Amino acid sequence: MGEERIRSQSESRRVSSALLLETHGLTRHFGGLAAVNRVDLRVAEGEIVGLIGPNGAGKTTCFNLLSGFIRPTAGTIRFDGEDITRLRPHQVVKRGLVRTFQLTTLFQELTGLENVLLGLHLHSRRSLGRALFSRRRFPPDEVARSREVLEFTGLASQADQLARNLPHGHQRVLGIAMALAARPRLLLLDEPVTGMNLDESGRVMALVKTIRDRGVTVLLVEHNMKAVMGTCERIVVLNFGQTLAEGSPAEVSTNAKVIEAYLGAGLAHARG
Amino acid sequence: MRRLRVGVLIVLGLLLLLVPQLGGDYYVHVFALVFTNVILAASLRPSLTCGQLNIGHSAFMSVGAYASALLAKNLAVPFEVSMLCGALLAAVVGLAIGYPSLRLRGVYFAMVTVAFVEVIRLIAQLWVPLTRGMSGLSGIPKPNLLGVTLATKASQYYLALFLMLLTLLILWKLESSRLGLIWKSIGMADNLAQSLGVNIANHKLLAFMLGCFFAGVAGAFYAHFIRFLFPPEFGFLMATNILVYNYVGGRGHFAGPIVGAAFLSLLSEPFRGSAYETIFFSIAMLLTILFLPGGLITLPGKLAELRWGKSASAHSPSPAA
Repeated sequence: MGEERIRSQSESRRVSSALLLETHGLTRHFGGLAAVNRVDLRVAEGEIVGLIGPNGAGKTTCFNLLSGFIRPTAGTIRFDGEDITRLRPHQVVKRGLVRTFQLTTLFQELTGLENVLLGLHLHSRRSLGRALFSRRRFPPDEVARSREVLEFTGLASQADQLARNLPHGHQRVLGIAMALAARPRLLLLDEPVTGMNLDESGRVMALVKTIRDRGVTVLLVEHNMKAVMGTCERIVVLNFGQTLAEGSPAEVSTNAKVIEAYLGAGLAHARG
Repeated sequence: MRRLRVGVLIVLGLLLLLVPQLGGDYYVHVFALVFTNVILAASLRPSLTCGQLNIGHSAFMSVGAYASALLAKNLAVPFEVSMLCGALLAAVVGLAIGYPSLRLRGVYFAMVTVAFVEVIRLIAQLWVPLTRGMSGLSGIPKPNLLGVTLATKASQYYLALFLMLLTLLILWKLESSRLGLIWKSIGMADNLAQSLGVNIANHKLLAFMLGCFFAGVAGAFYAHFIRFLFPPEFGFLMATNILVYNYVGGRGHFAGPIVGAAFLSLLSEPFRGSAYETIFFSIAMLLTILFLPGGLITLPGKLAELRWGKSASAHSPSPAA
């Protein structure tokens, strides 16, 4: 998948540890409810950051805000120094901020290869004339690159299968492969290992580390605590739309407020 | 299988070339209209693939038909130019309608298109000085190519055949390119397409305008072939028929609308213009939904499956496994 290309891209742009994503007072109201409330999120280049919190804490809303699917009520989002608060989804992707979806959102009726080809959309030299007069369906270099991405994510043998026929775990990985094809600088993964067994989730988290080692910064939402603690270098905890705590996995997992938020919610459930 | 398909297509092509020699003027007339319907049905497909239910395609045919007819009749513009102008005007009108309304989805977009059919019909009906309104626009010149008037029905038949094949070739090339893949992706999961950098608003608009353009082509040919335009012809009924061609033929493959349009317009020929026509189309649609949800194009596969199913269960698991 153009390993060198990705690496050189990140090296030439900026020294590592520079701030890639920064939100300031990010807020989103749904009616009277503040789903996300004055969140200041900072992600440095080359990090793997986890965003966790009990159900309804505002994690997915956060992702939707960052990727431009919904507009914030207040606050700003800066990506690589540029204000992207008001951009539409396809414009956000163009700047290198690519997301995946919580559920297995795939193009179910297309093959694995076609799914990834669509991820390459941005980098395609598409034109009406080309479509009309070219004898090949897809430019061979794009097909080759899509195959590389499939190879990298371990899906090479599934290239010609329809997405809907793939096992659940492979479907989730295909979602990541598509996002990778769009050449992200920051990858937002929404629950990448949910519904996977130990073996599968271990493999996906290893993949996430490899992706980071190749120069892509990762911000992920996940409920599987083992996966989060084992992969992320820094964790941000949200609760009721607000930042509750922030720090290394060890710091966060011993933080009294975090324990209360999780256990408190659990106790309330048990009683109610 | 592939060889069989190519063979069938070649035989079909030869038969279509020979229709004017074998059949009389009646068949020539009927088939030329079938070709127009095929253009209309196929040109609706890009929009449908994007997931936009357009129940107003006849309006764009009407725009192309009136524009081309008026240019040729009043200004003596040659057919090639008037047809192109009609098609371009249809695309521009498509842009004007599509730009504000394509962000609506599903039934809301469909409602806009239905309303638009009525608007265009009323304009054609009420702008009497230009369109002659309900008296109908007559005296439209026969089509001509490079200054030569195509006087015989047979020559006009070949023009229709050529226009249809050209339209299908262009639409097929586009659909099988990356552009077609993007249309499919928008139809399947538009949020995912967006998250991969697809500007869905622009692509929906492009697919819509493309369809309007070819509906305009069909309209222009129709105007110079029938040589009489009557506003209610391009009403809601024709718009739904174009949609029914797509569903009865099958939405899953490029051949769907072609098969649907050819099959239904040939079969409904005895009822044309009578009240039974509507009944015929409704029954066709109902039967398809009930028994062949994938449309007529899935029929050979279903039949093969039935035969396969019997013999395959005997010795091996299904070929898919």
